[in-house]
Amino acid sequence: MYRYDEFDAAFVSERVAQFSDQVRRRISGELTEDQFRPLRLMNGLYLQLHAYMLRVAVPYGTLSSRQMRMLAHIARKYDRGYGHFTTRQNIQFNWPKLRDVPEILADLASVEMHAIQTSGNCIRNVTTDQFAGAAADEIIDPRPIAEIIRQWSSLHPEFTFLPRKFKIAITGSPNDRAAVKFHDIGLMAQTNGAGQVGWAVYVGGGLGRTPMIGKQINGFVPHEHLLAYLESILRVYNRYGRRDNKYKARIKILVHEEGLETIKAQVEEEFSHVRGGILTLPQTELDRIDAYFSPPAFIDSGVVSIDVEREKILDPAFGRFLVNNTFSHARQGYTSVTVSLKPIGGAPGDATAEQMDAVADIAERFSFDELRVSHEQNLVLPHVALSELRAVYQALAEAGLAEANAGEITDTITCPGLDFCALANARSIPIAQDISRRFADPERQREIGKLKIKISGCINACGHHHVGHIGILGVEKKGTELYQITVGGDGTEDAAVGKILGPGFVADEVPDAIERLVDAYIAQRESAEEPFIAAYRRLGDAPFKEALYGNG
Amino acid sequence: MMSKQVLTANELLSGAVVYLGADGAWVENLQGARQFDKDDAHALEAARVAASSTGRLISLEVEDVVLEDGALVPARTRARIRAGGPTAPRFERQHLAEDEHVSI
Repeated sequence: MYRYDEFDAAFVSERVAQFSDQVRRRISGELTEDQFRPLRLMNGLYLQLHAYMLRVAVPYGTLSSRQMRMLAHIARKYDRGYGHFTTRQNIQFNWPKLRDVPEILADLASVEMHAIQTSGNCIRNVTTDQFAGAAADEIIDPRPIAEIIRQWSSLHPEFTFLPRKFKIAITGSPNDRAAVKFHDIGLMAQTNGAGQVGWAVYVGGGLGRTPMIGKQINGFVPHEHLLAYLESILRVYNRYGRRDNKYKARIKILVHEEGLETIKAQVEEEFSHVRGGILTLPQTELDRIDAYFSPPAFIDSGVVSIDVEREKILDPAFGRFLVNNTFSHARQGYTSVTVSLKPIGGAPGDATAEQMDAVADIAERFSFDELRVSHEQNLVLPHVALSELRAVYQALAEAGLAEANAGEITDTITCPGLDFCALANARSIPIAQDISRRFADPERQREIGKLKIKISGCINACGHHHVGHIGILGVEKKGTELYQITVGGDGTEDAAVGKILGPGFVADEVPDAIERLVDAYIAQRESAEEPFIAAYRRLGDAPFKEALYGNG
Repeated sequence: MMSKQVLTANELLSGAVVYLGADGAWVENLQGARQFDKDDAHALEAARVAASSTGRLISLEVEDVVLEDGALVPARTRARIRAGGPTAPRFERQHLAEDEHVSI
């Protein structure tokens, strides 16, 4: 994986020194809160309901064991022994004290991590496929270009005060696991007729109060010109994006109001000036960055497949783990393992310091020291030899991390909600816990099949509810938390925004409502092979609306 | 039920939720909060200005509370969760260290 060069290291340590001084001046009273607030936010330090929250960037969701151990150390020394992995592949600590934050940032810098640009109207941490660099269906490993984008966008002087925050997601595979069409810019790897790899560029996607599916602005941008093209989009957005209204300031509104063709013409005009200039990626630099992401030294163990049906009989729990929590690897004899952070009744995305240490040890022993964070709030061991899969499973089980529910109904995405977040209107975590307990039975989950539930505690949609096959949005109505249910959302390449079918439910009614939707699906699916989302597309709203509200 | 108001904030160093108490000290426990009548806007504003001038209190807010069975209960769900701590998972609230207490 990428290692800081002297420029990166100097830049991050300078920032730690600057912020240490800013904290000192804030505490001494030299800086007012109005002066300090933008400075702390530039370093990922928010104030939540009960305490500060520090959001640490996990660049394109990639971590080494050493970095994961440092996160565990921070959780243990400065926080309450746990961290929360987020839908932006980052980690948040919910209880740091202000005086400790400079020391935390120094600890992070010692393992080449930071919290820069995890807040503010700038280009945020680039996200990507959690199986990047491992997936069998990958056209190109998206991590090198993600690293190049990280370097380009870090403290980019022109793009530090954009009209609003800006999020870029990348998939190197045609099967989009990074929700690229719901980002300000989404990049999807393509191959042209000459066999060259480039990028289809989508612009103006997003969730929040105005969900939009990104529109393709260019079907193929050559790899070496991608930065110039991104800079062209950002420049047009920075010039014309609406600064008059926070709620209309994202690029999705600009694209929607001006029309794709107008924006495309502006971008192409800009691109015609910058193409071939200083942002052209030289092959030597591409090769240099690529080298950091070279495949590990895989070994042929002789085991090239596992008889899953046999394992299911011998040990149903392990069999279920094989079915749900492994993913096809590009290299024969290997697999990627999803480490679920969704234990039944747990808080989605939370991991204790002990679990972080355990998973770091497992990654070191069995996955070439590599880890990923998924936007679905799970961890991934990207390169596990099939011959060692059983040992990995046992080690995960000992750490309480072998929940075999990846992709099933209890593997929800859930924002922190009103239990922590200062912006939320309703709680999210207890809803996720109730649903998790309701559908805890593995056999019931298997019967239901792949079904994505996503839960947000406010319209900002950090829990991606718009793209849940079933989405749940918490609102406050007359002092009561109420939950709107949407059906039919999809965050993949078949992007769709879920539809509200009727009035909301109070918290206690939500598990029953979900169960009715699930029962309606099972009753009307063509076969067990037809997933919920496919059945919804075939059947339309009617049976699901009836399940929720009756036919009166 | 008598409706009152309290002044709440987060303490600078810890981020902990605090309430302005009757004697001018900021306290963790809502039950120790000074109660303002809704028509006592001057006193509330004076307290808010004094609190701001300490430089030690951030995110100052006025919260509506009601007296139920002798206990102050915030009107809004958000304020109830601030007063009690996260409900799921249940966590103890952030506490003030010895040197983090503040008065106006």
